[in-house]
Amino acid sequence: MTFEDQRTTVYKINPEHPESETLPTLRTEELLLNMGPQHPSTHGVLKVILELEGERLVKSTPVMGYLHRGVEKLAEDGTYHQFIPHTDRLDYVCAMYNNFAYCRAVEKLLNLQVPERAEYLRTIVAEVQRIIGHQFWLSAQALDIGAMTVFFYCFRDREILLDWFDELCGARLTTSWYRIGGVERDLTPSLIDKLKQFLDYFPPKIDEYQVFLERNRIWLGRTKGVAVISAEDAVNFGLSGPVLRGSGVDYDLRKYEPYSAYPKCEFNVPVGKNGDTYDRYWIRVMELYESVKIIRQCLDQMQDGPIMADVPSVTLPPKERVFTNLESMIQQFKLFSQGFDAPPGEIYCGTEAHKGELGFYIVSTGGGKPYRLKIRAPSFVHMGAFDHMARGYMISDACTIFGTYDIVMGECDR
Amino acid sequence: MGLKPATNPDVEAATIELSIDGKSVTARDGVSLYDVIAMTGKIIPAMCYHYTFDPFGSCGMCLVMQEGKKAPVRSCTAKAAAGMVIRTEGEDLFLARKKAVEKHLSVHPLDCPVCDADGHCELQDMAFQHGVTNLANAKQKFIPEDTRSPVLDFNMNRCIACAECINVCKDVLMIDALQFMKKGGFNQVVAKGDLALDCEFCGDCLAVCPVGAITNKFSKYLYKPWQMRKTTTTCNYCGDGCQLYLETKDEEVVRVTSPLSWKNKWGDRSETAKGHGGICVRGRFGFEYLDSKSRLTQPLVREGNRLVQKPWLETMHQLVDRVTEIKDKYGADAIGGLVTARCTNEELYLFQKLMRTGFGTNQLDSSARYGHMNFVLASKQAVGLGRMPNDWEDLTKAKAIILFGTNITETNPLTAVRIKEAIRVYKAQVMTFDSAITNIAKLASHPLLIKPGTEGAVIDGLVKATIDQDLVDEGAVGKHPQALEALKSAVEDVSLERLAAQTGLPVEAFREVAAIFAESTRSIILCGEGIVRRTNGYQNVLKLMDLAWITGKLGRAGCGVNTVTEEPNEQGAVDMGAAPEFLPGQARFDDPAVRDRFSKAWEASLPPVGSGARLIEILKRSKSGQIKALYILGENPLATLPASMEVRAALERLELLVVQDPFLTETGKLAHFVLPACTYAEKDGTFTNLEGRVLRVRQAMDPLGESLPDWHIMTAFANAMGCRWEYQSANDVQAEIMKLLPGYYNLGQPRKVVPVPDQYLSNDFAAGVKARYQQRPPSGEHTRPFSLSMGQLLVHSGKLSTQAPGLIKIAPNTEKLRMNIRDMERLGLQDGAKVRLTSDRGSLQLGVQPDQSVAPGTCFFPEHFNEPPVKDLMPVSVDATTGVPSFKQIWVSIEQA
Amino acid sequence: MSVAALTKKILQAALFYEIVDAMKVTFRHMLHRPMTFQYPREQRTIPDTHRGALGLLRYDDGRERCVGCDLCEAACPSHCIKVISAEDPARPLQRYASEFYIDITKCVFCGYCVEACPVNALAMTKMYEYSTHDKRSLLFDKQRLYDIGERHLDDGKKYLYAHNQEKNVEQSREYRYYFPQSVQKSTQPPPKHLS
Repeated sequence: MTFEDQRTTVYKINPEHPESETLPTLRTEELLLNMGPQHPSTHGVLKVILELEGERLVKSTPVMGYLHRGVEKLAEDGTYHQFIPHTDRLDYVCAMYNNFAYCRAVEKLLNLQVPERAEYLRTIVAEVQRIIGHQFWLSAQALDIGAMTVFFYCFRDREILLDWFDELCGARLTTSWYRIGGVERDLTPSLIDKLKQFLDYFPPKIDEYQVFLERNRIWLGRTKGVAVISAEDAVNFGLSGPVLRGSGVDYDLRKYEPYSAYPKCEFNVPVGKNGDTYDRYWIRVMELYESVKIIRQCLDQMQDGPIMADVPSVTLPPKERVFTNLESMIQQFKLFSQGFDAPPGEIYCGTEAHKGELGFYIVSTGGGKPYRLKIRAPSFVHMGAFDHMARGYMISDACTIFGTYDIVMGECDR
Repeated sequence: MGLKPATNPDVEAATIELSIDGKSVTARDGVSLYDVIAMTGKIIPAMCYHYTFDPFGSCGMCLVMQEGKKAPVRSCTAKAAAGMVIRTEGEDLFLARKKAVEKHLSVHPLDCPVCDADGHCELQDMAFQHGVTNLANAKQKFIPEDTRSPVLDFNMNRCIACAECINVCKDVLMIDALQFMKKGGFNQVVAKGDLALDCEFCGDCLAVCPVGAITNKFSKYLYKPWQMRKTTTTCNYCGDGCQLYLETKDEEVVRVTSPLSWKNKWGDRSETAKGHGGICVRGRFGFEYLDSKSRLTQPLVREGNRLVQKPWLETMHQLVDRVTEIKDKYGADAIGGLVTARCTNEELYLFQKLMRTGFGTNQLDSSARYGHMNFVLASKQAVGLGRMPNDWEDLTKAKAIILFGTNITETNPLTAVRIKEAIRVYKAQVMTFDSAITNIAKLASHPLLIKPGTEGAVIDGLVKATIDQDLVDEGAVGKHPQALEALKSAVEDVSLERLAAQTGLPVEAFREVAAIFAESTRSIILCGEGIVRRTNGYQNVLKLMDLAWITGKLGRAGCGVNTVTEEPNEQGAVDMGAAPEFLPGQARFDDPAVRDRFSKAWEASLPPVGSGARLIEILKRSKSGQIKALYILGENPLATLPASMEVRAALERLELLVVQDPFLTETGKLAHFVLPACTYAEKDGTFTNLEGRVLRVRQAMDPLGESLPDWHIMTAFANAMGCRWEYQSANDVQAEIMKLLPGYYNLGQPRKVVPVPDQYLSNDFAAGVKARYQQRPPSGEHTRPFSLSMGQLLVHSGKLSTQAPGLIKIAPNTEKLRMNIRDMERLGLQDGAKVRLTSDRGSLQLGVQPDQSVAPGTCFFPEHFNEPPVKDLMPVSVDATTGVPSFKQIWVSIEQA
Repeated sequence: MSVAALTKKILQAALFYEIVDAMKVTFRHMLHRPMTFQYPREQRTIPDTHRGALGLLRYDDGRERCVGCDLCEAACPSHCIKVISAEDPARPLQRYASEFYIDITKCVFCGYCVEACPVNALAMTKMYEYSTHDKRSLLFDKQRLYDIGERHLDDGKKYLYAHNQEKNVEQSREYRYYFPQSVQKSTQPPPKHLS
């Protein structure tokens, strides 16, 4: 019996039905299933049109734009400085890294040197943010697949870091702590203490997460060999971050284009072999250990010093000088009302966020506002490979595959 | 360009060569080095420099290195010389400039938070650009703020002593109201004599102030420059058509700024002939009526004795029913219309189209009829060109200018600045004939005060003196010997001595003026309200044409007979055919070919020839009951014309009076329907200024309340009357005009048309010339001793400006008659004393005040105010040819009340 | 792989030993104190740096700090501030904000307005519980903002100290805006820090 026949018989299940003879032969075709935009596992408002043959995915077409807010256009409206809070809302789970990537891009445009202490602070906070990001991913991925406990444990530990952010900059998620030319506020002794405590507390907790997953045969069954992508394909699709490294490509911008304080720290870049979901999971967990390592090194190496570059045409004056000195007052007014005068040109600057390469492309025609700003969001690029990676897997694997990219729609749709 | 431009625009200065930053540059000899550098595209900071006046050299920013000199030199005051080697960039120059900025900063207060210039401040820009961070020995001046002037506040703490305000006032505007004064250890800018500032309040000092030392009282502390939206538009106060920036915040007009500003200080000095970019007091401070509380925001419909607010739809239904009823009952000739020349070209075009095709009547007229029509018809008759032949550039570069009966600094202040520049830069000889002591007369080479109402006689005298002295240009008159003979025989009986007695001028004056005018290479006549708004205006303009013709100035480049207009679009009203004798493009209404073209284009038949009526005729027909319905768009005849015209009776007799206006005017109060219209700030369109340039009017804000642009209302009206107009915007109307009048918009530049008098001279000239120079019995035998004239004030324009609180604050209605101080002394009158003013038309009681600009034997009352109703003392005489009513002058007696 | 290891692995697989492992962790947590707390009966301790609702501050002598310079409006990335400034009717020649609105529904709590303010008139407080049934009441006007500033004055000041906007010393309280005087009459003596 062919597949077609099977279907017809299924439909004509009741031959006693009085009209059964008059029923036409039903059309057999692939089933179109709209998944999302209100599906919990799509991590926001993503819709994917799945073409199914039975339970197999034949083709899947992601439909984006449900969370489109025109962020790139907003950037053209305000000064360079004013765009920082907007970057918080790209990947809203990891605002710090967005801030970081954006500030780096603008600094590259301006050719601005950031003081050393600021670089260490930036690295520390970026790695804390990476820990949060991976925790969040782990919890969500586990929950999608059905493991709930990990979710609670991850969120418990994430909470500690969010409170730490709150104390650092005043907000838990929408941080806006990075500034063009440095950072807004220095680490206080109490913050450093808290961070050190956390670093001691955290590695055993990572082991704890693993207890639930590493040998869990459901987890293994649903991750091993799922959504495999070869190294070549991964490169061709422009994947980056753990998704790329999972396929065995040793590519990490922190190593290849070292920035901030990364070149001064020792750390490994975990690389997978099989390019499946399990390898990507493993990389992220390993990165948690690496992040802890980096933070420890930075805390040890960090010296006292300024946290903002002192370039009067770009950076704000210290507030107390604004009250007493005209030139600082003028600086304050010019920078806030008109912004600094960026040189004409275009620049691309990629930063290794925990999801992958987060890049900002800025076109400046001079003046205080960018002429055009384009965000290379890893989530968006990864969604491009969705169809390729999901083809042939079961419908229930779709959730796993969303999860394995670590997509956040705020960044994807912008 | 240049330190001192050549006084003769035909002669160029010698060319020199010098090297700037290693590049060889050619320039004219004697010009400022700064200008030469600016010409190459390099911008050197300079805070006290502006291209409109001579370099002052106080800021010390424009430093450059000259080879062979140790210290940097100030490039603005240095003259470019052949062989100079100049370097404009380098670390040493940057530091020297930084030092100069620091010098200014160290005494500047920490005012940025409260300063209105913050964000539009050159000192801020310079400090920021040069990265000034650490100032040693900063101290403040603690100078109190001078708030005595009604318009401008002077905060000398912020002053950097660049003297731009003083220079622009003295050099460009020649008013000289500001000066430096050492007070409290600092050089401060104060009004002349450290009194409260009392000047023309053009506000150009405010525009060029690079810091916030001079602030606008009307927008003080309201908003910062970066918050406001800037719209470039055209001023709607007078015919100069100045470009200005309306700065708005949401639904509020905050302030008006001019293209003249410290921000555009780099320009070619010789280009100022086209205008220096400034605006006058009306433009700069008269914006408050735009968002005034007294604006109409809803249609009003008469119910019994009251006007009741109604929604648009209901109003239009009722209105159209009434109009249709009247049209069906009495025919199209029972409908008339008046339109103001403050409307845009598009609206004027639609108005005449609505009247002619929608209602089928040719009884329409515009406010150009109050005077400008005299000039247009005379000029069209004589040279075939219904507008001024010259533009501002010609005026600036003229060598001899005769101003006839125009108080030009008051009526058209920016055209006056062109004449001032002609005097100052090109050393023009300016001859003024006026019965008042005008401000321009004070600057003129030949200020000639004449007796009131003798302008016509003066022209007779000039023509006679020209012929007597044999100043006739043979080349010009050679072609038309009969015409010259006719003119010669016409002026044969004219006696200069008698004219001298009549006008109060010496005989030599006629001869000298005639000689200067005839012998100059570029001579211009400019006639104002003293000619075109008075009796015999048409004939007087023709006589001026005669004068220009025999001296060979008619048709020669840079010469001609010109006028000024009071309302922004009087020229446009004529061009758009908002007059019974014209179709659009000044085509004659009775020309069958043109009628055919327009009726085809409009797909409607035009009203018959001969059915038209002009302003005064329309009012007469209204009174006689021939016209039953009158559509008045922005006009206010009740408040404009004297009581003897019985306008009120005429309007009350109407079965339907529709008034469309932004404000509820006196005429509007009598109306059956009042439709709320927009001001120019709320609509798009164009104005045609007195030069014939078509200038854009741009929408700066949304219409207030439910008011609508006039073109919108008219389109709705026409469609309800059965026309099929498909205009969605003013641009659609413009497209239609472009099709019908190709080249009219012409990128804002008027088409150069060479006036050709040949047609006129060889045909009708001889017939009319005799009558023109007929000596009327001298009208000197007045029973009453004083001449009362009504005219414009600098600060006001028509009745519109009285709606602007700012202008009223500067020049309120004093309700006083302005007299010469000597006359007052002679009559024993004190300032403010009550007098009884009696004319043949009646008498009224009012106060008097002395006024320097009023000549002995005359008195003056501004035409903008009807309280007390001085205008009702005036008689009205209507010009037979042009139908222009003149009602601005009468003889009165004054006695103490 | 040795036989023993293989046997162990087979045994573990057969007995679902990983579940035992995981259960150990889970049961250990049963003895742990709860990580959650009962909001709103219990409240979080909020750090001084916290960026909560905005308030306007006064000087110690009760005068409004704000001079209506509109810089907060310019700095705001979400355009939620509207300042209408004017000449103070009570003090001629002095500028003040006659109206001040913050649309808190639009506010993104980035704190740029505080950073921009040249007189430290704005501060963020620890107030975050202002949800309401009526959205219109979330347009904070000048009165409301001063009320917040007054009620949370300590929070506001601590915020300024924590974010390096103001130093907690006597001297910094003297920095206030000095207005020019009228030519007609003088109103205030020059302040110490400017002379």
